[in-house]
Amino acid sequence: MADARVKVEALCKSFWDESRGEVRAVDSIDFDCRQGEVFGLLGANGAGKTTTLRMLATILKPTSGRASLNGYDVLTEPESVRRSLGFYSASTALYPRLTGKETLEFFARINRYPPDLVEERVESLIERFGIAEYAGARVEKLSSGMKQKISIARTIVHDPPVLIFDEPTVGLDVMAAIEMQQVIRELRDEGKTIIFSTHIMSEAEKLCDRIAIIHQGRILALGTLEEHRQATGKHYLEDIFVHEVMAVTEVESSL
Amino acid sequence: MDWYDIWILYRHEIRSALRERTIVMNSILMPVFLYPVMLWVMSTGFLFVAGLAERSQSRVVILDPPAAHPELLDSLRAHTNIDVREGVVGSDAALELILSGELDALVEFLAPEAEGRALDDNFRVAIHYDRAVERSRRARARVESVVADYRDEWLDREAVALSIPDADRAQFRILEDNVSSGREMGALIMGMLIPMFLVLMVALGCLIPSIDCTAGERERSTWETLMTVSASRLSVVTAKYFYVATFGILAGVLNVTAMFVSLGAIVAPLLAEVGDGTRAFQFSLPLMALPVMIVAAIALALFFAAAMMILASFARTFKDGQAMVTPVYWLAMLPILLGQQTDRTLTPAIAAIPVANAAMMIRDAINGVFLWPLMAETLAVLLLMVVACLLLARTILQFEDLLLGSYDGSFWRFAKERLLKKNAGWNAAKTEIGGG
Repeated sequence: MADARVKVEALCKSFWDESRGEVRAVDSIDFDCRQGEVFGLLGANGAGKTTTLRMLATILKPTSGRASLNGYDVLTEPESVRRSLGFYSASTALYPRLTGKETLEFFARINRYPPDLVEERVESLIERFGIAEYAGARVEKLSSGMKQKISIARTIVHDPPVLIFDEPTVGLDVMAAIEMQQVIRELRDEGKTIIFSTHIMSEAEKLCDRIAIIHQGRILALGTLEEHRQATGKHYLEDIFVHEVMAVTEVESSL
Repeated sequence: MDWYDIWILYRHEIRSALRERTIVMNSILMPVFLYPVMLWVMSTGFLFVAGLAERSQSRVVILDPPAAHPELLDSLRAHTNIDVREGVVGSDAALELILSGELDALVEFLAPEAEGRALDDNFRVAIHYDRAVERSRRARARVESVVADYRDEWLDREAVALSIPDADRAQFRILEDNVSSGREMGALIMGMLIPMFLVLMVALGCLIPSIDCTAGERERSTWETLMTVSASRLSVVTAKYFYVATFGILAGVLNVTAMFVSLGAIVAPLLAEVGDGTRAFQFSLPLMALPVMIVAAIALALFFAAAMMILASFARTFKDGQAMVTPVYWLAMLPILLGQQTDRTLTPAIAAIPVANAAMMIRDAINGVFLWPLMAETLAVLLLMVVACLLLARTILQFEDLLLGSYDGSFWRFAKERLLKKNAGWNAAKTEIGGG
């Protein structure tokens, strides 16, 4: 695909476990994501979503296969990949002893946003997310809602073309989750490429332009919601998901 | 590795650390205020105890005082701190009273030995006391002082009576002459204190930052955030390493400065007060000692920072980190003991022992001894240890589970499983740290 910002080909990741030996967490997956698209990775806990996203973010090294972000190879150009990427997950916390403003400045500079534009960029994000009132307070003193806004601003402060949101609404209340979904839509409209992982079906239904159903490290089906409906004859994503997973389970048990 | 990234990360670590109470307390406030406060408490306590001792009474029994020396008995009775007890019959009874703590000393006058009979009215004195009891030891010292003074006066009188000239008598006197200068005596005290505390404070300065920037990051869930920034892994680790070493150096330098000031302002007047007053202690350093101490502090900080960060990187929580790193702090004390032998200087063998070599090098410098080839050996050994630690750290951090904090074992288990066993499965899980 010509305008693909993210390309994944036969990507695998195996871990070594003392008792179980080699464990294959991601098993030869392929997909690509386009500019201005929200690409959903839908799967149960332990399906391989986070491992896939961590490989794309170069936090983990693939065992085999290829992946590139914004034209940069994750294996050979990890620093350029990370410069082109904003990564948000429940396990990417903020530095508690820094203020919100210091946090944004630090992440802008370390991700090589032009130094003379950092101040302007930080101020614009403070205004955009309405965090001016507490931008000078230390993060440790803020509520979880305030931290969430600063976290999103931290993710996009260096204006990366690709964004990864790994289960971003886990632990959020309904209003905060809706706010997060709204931000993701806005970012897509700005032309960002977004990879969004979740195990919440309704979220994927509402947000994602295309959805990959991932199970036991493999992508079982990939397409728009309409394409999934046509392929399975099911209307709701929850039913589609169960249908795909059950089909694989039946095949495996018949072997 | 990119020095711009390292600078940004380093500044971020320092700023964050200066807002953490535990780090500021351990690495800045304690090194600065520990000695002034400690020395003030010690000097006040010392003066208080000395005052109490000065006023205390020594309970003494005197048996068989010589009839020819009534002045001696009068001197003992006249002493303001000696209480001569009457009514105790026999040495056995007196000894029992000493053991039970009701008496401090027994002064027993005995007939002279055969060779001492040449002098008329000569005598011997046996002072019985309990060495395990402070007030009994003090009683012995007081009695001995009175008896010695009396003996000198008596011998003077006898010599005059026998027409022995003063010059001949002077030959039998013991005269003491301390040839040390005040600066040398000051250097003796500084040589015992400064190297030991410099090493310990550098280690203490590294302790909390090394845990904070590894296990602390994992506990706060900021480690993964940091792994997603565009800086290379090597830059991240290097910045953290410099940050930990900076706090070690800071703690060491602040501590030496505080100790130096405290010794001059608190200890010197105290020593002048309790000493014989003939020579004042001077706490001054040779000019070259300062750069030597700073270089030693830097080398020690680089070594401790590397060693502590390796161990702390196995911890998932701050508490685990403290348990893993604290032994390094205590281990640092063992080699220092070698440096406490005041009559030694740096030798090729000692220069090969990390930490002990630095402590000895600092002590030599305080005493104005600069053995340049051995100092070079000392720095070479310390830097070799630093390089060894960094190579080990690089090897360890190539394992993804350790880098991401999902490994749940200790350094020793890790070394046994992966570094010594060479398991192919574990090696497959390695990632190249330098590559990003």
